[in-house]
Amino acid sequence: MTGQTGDSEDVERLLVAFSPRVYGLLLRMVGRSDVAEDLMQETLLRAFRSLGTYRSEGKFRAWIFRIAVNLARDWIRRRPREPATGLDDDAAAAPAQAVLARDVPPEADALGRERRRDVEQALARLPDADREVLLMRYYGDLTFKAIARATGEPLGTVLARAHRALRKLGDLIPEESHEPLP
Amino acid sequence: MNRCPDRDQWVLYAAGEVSARRRRALAAHLETCPTCRTECRAVERGLEALTALPAAPAVRPEAIEMLRRRLSVAAAHRVSRPSVVGRVYRYRWVAAAAVLIAAALTYTLFPASDVTQPAWRDESYVVDEITEISAELEMLELNTFAATWDSGNGSGGAVPEAIKGQGRLPLGRLADEVGVQG
Repeated sequence: MTGQTGDSEDVERLLVAFSPRVYGLLLRMVGRSDVAEDLMQETLLRAFRSLGTYRSEGKFRAWIFRIAVNLARDWIRRRPREPATGLDDDAAAAPAQAVLARDVPPEADALGRERRRDVEQALARLPDADREVLLMRYYGDLTFKAIARATGEPLGTVLARAHRALRKLGDLIPEESHEPLP
Repeated sequence: MNRCPDRDQWVLYAAGEVSARRRRALAAHLETCPTCRTECRAVERGLEALTALPAAPAVRPEAIEMLRRRLSVAAAHRVSRPSVVGRVYRYRWVAAAAVLIAAALTYTLFPASDVTQPAWRDESYVVDEITEISAELEMLELNTFAATWDSGNGSGGAVPEAIKGQGRLPLGRLADEVGVQG
């Protein structure tokens, strides 16, 4: 019994450690910090409850992010018809602005803030499926192959979505300021 | 590499998800192909734009506290909840008593003496039926023979007395129905 309790505590700690990244993905998917918090808790609680169904051959992180994406999709499907993901909308912008003010370090320069706002807006304009791929990649730190496995979609489809989305985000960065890869 | 690779390959290349050998081949192609170079740079800028977002945004401490509490409750529930077998075993005497009561009720409400056999299970009934059917068949055969005799196809147009009205027809109900005199 003590062992079980100890295991549970370890898992709890692990799940809590995931919470900021899961929250980050959900926030960008649903566009509302209150909903993202609720869904983050629900995601990690579900992961905890269904640890028995987790197949060890997959990545634990990918499994958690898949739960998060599914919950966010459900919420988006059921939400009242309002543009909740766009920061350009006043109703949706209010909580996102609060998040922005909390997350950005005070020393962050104006350029950084402006770029972040641009990226947020560009992300909000992407089709849901394209945005999901980028968010799973960035917040889940998952490879595109892992994303394909987690979502059950062919790798080619995932890469096509990533390519389309990255091209649009890439337009936000001036070409002259970019340092190409070696 | 003379032929341009699929543009999705630049997503894998920019994300660092290709093997070292493939990476060398793609890099060599970039040296000679301005179109692919433009494509690759655009994807790289898209990935760079993503980094403007906080990788692990701050979650409200209240939300984390709530998550911890919910996880603890789920863990306590999981530890205290016995297995299915354990839960059934606890009520084994109740289950045994229920089975005994059900058996007693069944015996009381449906005693064995009340069970009656259907008519077709009675042997004498079957014998009577077979006798009756045989008699009907025999009568039909005799009538056909008599009709043939009357029409002149028989011997001299006269029906022998041994057959006409006598035969071996039964003298019961069936004989009356066809007008045969006994």
